Amino acid sequence: MGPSSTSHAGTGKLIPPFPPQTQLDGLLAGAGYKVRSSDLHLVAQRLESLESAMVSSPSHVVSHLASDTVHYNPADLVSWVDSLLSELTHSHHHPSNPSSSSSSSSTSPPSRPLPVDLDDLFSVPSDAINWVQSEMPLSQQPPPPPPPPQQLTVVTTMEEDSGIRLVHALMTCAELVQRGDLHLAGALVDEMTALLTSINTECGIGKVAGYFIDALSRRIVGAGSVPAPPHETEILYHHFYETSPYLKFAHFTANQAILEAFEGYDCVHVIDFSLMHGLQWPALIQALALRPGGPPLLRLTGIGPPSPDGRDTLREIGLGLAEVARSVNVRFAFRGVAASRLEDVKPWMLQVNPNEALAVNSIMQLHKLLGPDPTPIESVLSWIRGLNPKIVTLVEQEVNHNQTGFLDRFTEALYYYSTVFDSLEAACQIQPDKALAEMYLQMEICNIVCYEGAARVERHEPLAKWRDRFNRAGFRPLHLGSNAFKQASMLLMLFSTEGYSVEENEGCLRLGWHSRPLIAASAWQASPGPLPLPLPMGADDYWNDD
Amino acid sequence: MAGSNEVNVNESKRVVPLNTWVLISNFKLAYNLLRRSDGTFNRDLAEYLDRKVPANTIPVGGVLSFDHVDRSTGLLNRVYLRAPESGGQAAAAAPWGFKELEKPLSCTSVVPVIVFFHGGSFTHSSANSAIYDTLCRRLVTFCGATVVSVNYRRSPEHRYPCAYDDGWAALKWVTSRPWLHSGTENNSKVHVYLAGDSSGGNICHHVAVRAAEAGVEVLGNILLQPMFGGQKRTESEARFDGKYFVTVRDRDWYWRAYLPEGEDRDHPACNPFGPRGRSLDDLVGKFPRSLVVVPGLDLVQDWQLAYVEGLRKSGLDAKLLYLKEATIGFFFLPNNDHFYTLMEEIKSFVSPRCDSLQKA
Repeated sequence: MGPSSTSHAGTGKLIPPFPPQTQLDGLLAGAGYKVRSSDLHLVAQRLESLESAMVSSPSHVVSHLASDTVHYNPADLVSWVDSLLSELTHSHHHPSNPSSSSSSSSTSPPSRPLPVDLDDLFSVPSDAINWVQSEMPLSQQPPPPPPPPQQLTVVTTMEEDSGIRLVHALMTCAELVQRGDLHLAGALVDEMTALLTSINTECGIGKVAGYFIDALSRRIVGAGSVPAPPHETEILYHHFYETSPYLKFAHFTANQAILEAFEGYDCVHVIDFSLMHGLQWPALIQALALRPGGPPLLRLTGIGPPSPDGRDTLREIGLGLAEVARSVNVRFAFRGVAASRLEDVKPWMLQVNPNEALAVNSIMQLHKLLGPDPTPIESVLSWIRGLNPKIVTLVEQEVNHNQTGFLDRFTEALYYYSTVFDSLEAACQIQPDKALAEMYLQMEICNIVCYEGAARVERHEPLAKWRDRFNRAGFRPLHLGSNAFKQASMLLMLFSTEGYSVEENEGCLRLGWHSRPLIAASAWQASPGPLPLPLPMGADDYWNDD
Repeated sequence: MAGSNEVNVNESKRVVPLNTWVLISNFKLAYNLLRRSDGTFNRDLAEYLDRKVPANTIPVGGVLSFDHVDRSTGLLNRVYLRAPESGGQAAAAAPWGFKELEKPLSCTSVVPVIVFFHGGSFTHSSANSAIYDTLCRRLVTFCGATVVSVNYRRSPEHRYPCAYDDGWAALKWVTSRPWLHSGTENNSKVHVYLAGDSSGGNICHHVAVRAAEAGVEVLGNILLQPMFGGQKRTESEARFDGKYFVTVRDRDWYWRAYLPEGEDRDHPACNPFGPRGRSLDDLVGKFPRSLVVVPGLDLVQDWQLAYVEGLRKSGLDAKLLYLKEATIGFFFLPNNDHFYTLMEEIKSFVSPRCDSLQKA
């Protein structure tokens, strides 16, 4: 088409960094695709090449593109088209080895030619096949995205008058609390408790209103919530794990990414920021056992709170996992690190070996580090970066519960948890499992509503903010591919209720209920180049032995 | 495939802006991957590749949106509203993030409510697909309407008549919402229109028939490059096959995926005025007036024009907007004249003045 437009293509040169206000084609951005205006001609040309290649390839090769190839970050059109082009070229050069460039660790069957449908035979004689000269893909650096519009609440339409009145009352009460007018707020709590009797508490806002009224009244009275002892928390966590797909999704997705990152390494080490009952790890151990070429030596370091009454819960969990590993012939070593708070963990405690491939796994933990100044998140991210991990898997609640204004936080939480409770209602009818799962969530609600300062640890922030933090801390995204997406979709099918959905969003996966994203999973790797800026003053203490 | 690939590429590139060409070609190639020759569809990969956006109750560009799930049907509708003027009484009354859903849209004037069915040949896309979310927002902005986008069930997992059932359920939901009413006291009701592109246009027709038969008032139908077809091959299909992003073969695939198994394209869902269709003259006065938009480079145009003919032969009011140099999907990006022509036409179609003229 336009020979003049190919002047910068195919050189393999890294494009020099461009300013943050980059020239993305605004209209394509509105359609969900990130393409620089200056790259339009290039993308067009690549699309043409791709079409030619698809037209002239045998149908089983083309279907391989759909069935066995792992796709990454479809928003980045240039690299998506490039990856398909190179898949096709590879298949042309090695017609007997169709699935070799798939980077998935799961054993995918070699692709068989589809049943021949006469309608679908492309009638191109084999000697006319175009050999596509695969050009070097452009720099893989996607431009930093413009800040997204604040994605906030989902409104559920209230069908009943009482329901609407209750929501009004909750908001008003929260506003009174924010203003410091606790006397009036308390009176409103009584009114709301009465209103509760006349609405449907089976679903929607009615379901969670009770918990929010309770949390508000505790805050007003100054009682706070009685923190549950850790082992109780773990039991509730376990029920939450069983009755909804959220944690399973988190574990599945993280494990898939870790498995892919560990490919080719003989010594691997996983650091789990919150071991709990170690529910995430049997699946990874088993997957590693089945790895073509044999399993690596796996070390697992589990962080958790110190156990009361002389027990060593961490060690017990570790022993259980060791048994799993033994049963599938995976060489395994476990180490427990007891710490009541994540910020108390020092990197030397983790005993990371420079020769091993390291994965750092954080399922809904890092938000606890976003407390008041001096907030520990940056120094923790910094020492994680310093360990030079192959991958950091991050799963967090996809919502902003860390706003400074109480009313804002309250409103956000009200709609977030009503959606979560709705989904639980649909997914699990078994008692007492459901009630225990709900209690787990109730603890979170209480923490968000009743506490301030260091005691408020449930400081959830959405993926967009985590992206910023991780980018600043010297990480770059490791895109979760269509394989992980497919596995997540399959997981959802096990929960026999329609309504859960998984979405791909710039290399990350988000699990939601009826198109409202609720948790987000992402993966990160250390950016090449020098470590980020020096730590702020005072943080040097983290590097000194006590 | 008709014509050599290179010729087709040259052709389509000539008539659309480059970013439109990139967008639609990307869809074309991705969709080619997703359709399997045995009639099944790679839904997982389709969902992975589809760019989606969440709803947002915070106004962006003067439009806010939220999702509603009808518990009895599990059907999701995304509602788009014009944000209240900032600093006005309405804005002050609604605390941040919370939308007041008790009062009607207006007590003084008529606000049209457009029930929108996204395209995708019955198989692709969702109400929360970025391209359709953006389109609905533009409809609100340009036409001053409220839009409700319906997330109907798709083929091949859900064949005929699921999409029509879902459309009908959505229409009933919309017309029964007090907060979608507008107009003065004597005339307060939901002023509802149906609109859709491609398969969405087809759904509009069939839902409008159901509505007319049930006595539910729909003020107008807006069919944008509607998806119709038939067993016989038409001249436009031969002439444009493969030239402007679409092939006859892919059209056939989608009909085979939507229609009941074993059926052919003369099934009335596909060919409402064909040999197995029926005249609608018994619905004169009940079936809404129609605006049918036909892109001059769409290979389906002969069927779309036949549809307009069929409406007129039944004694129904149908306006044809024929856009000579437009390809399919011209309305996804506001970078061409056809887009603005379309918005103007829709705006005047749903404007109350037209409505009252019609009644007079």
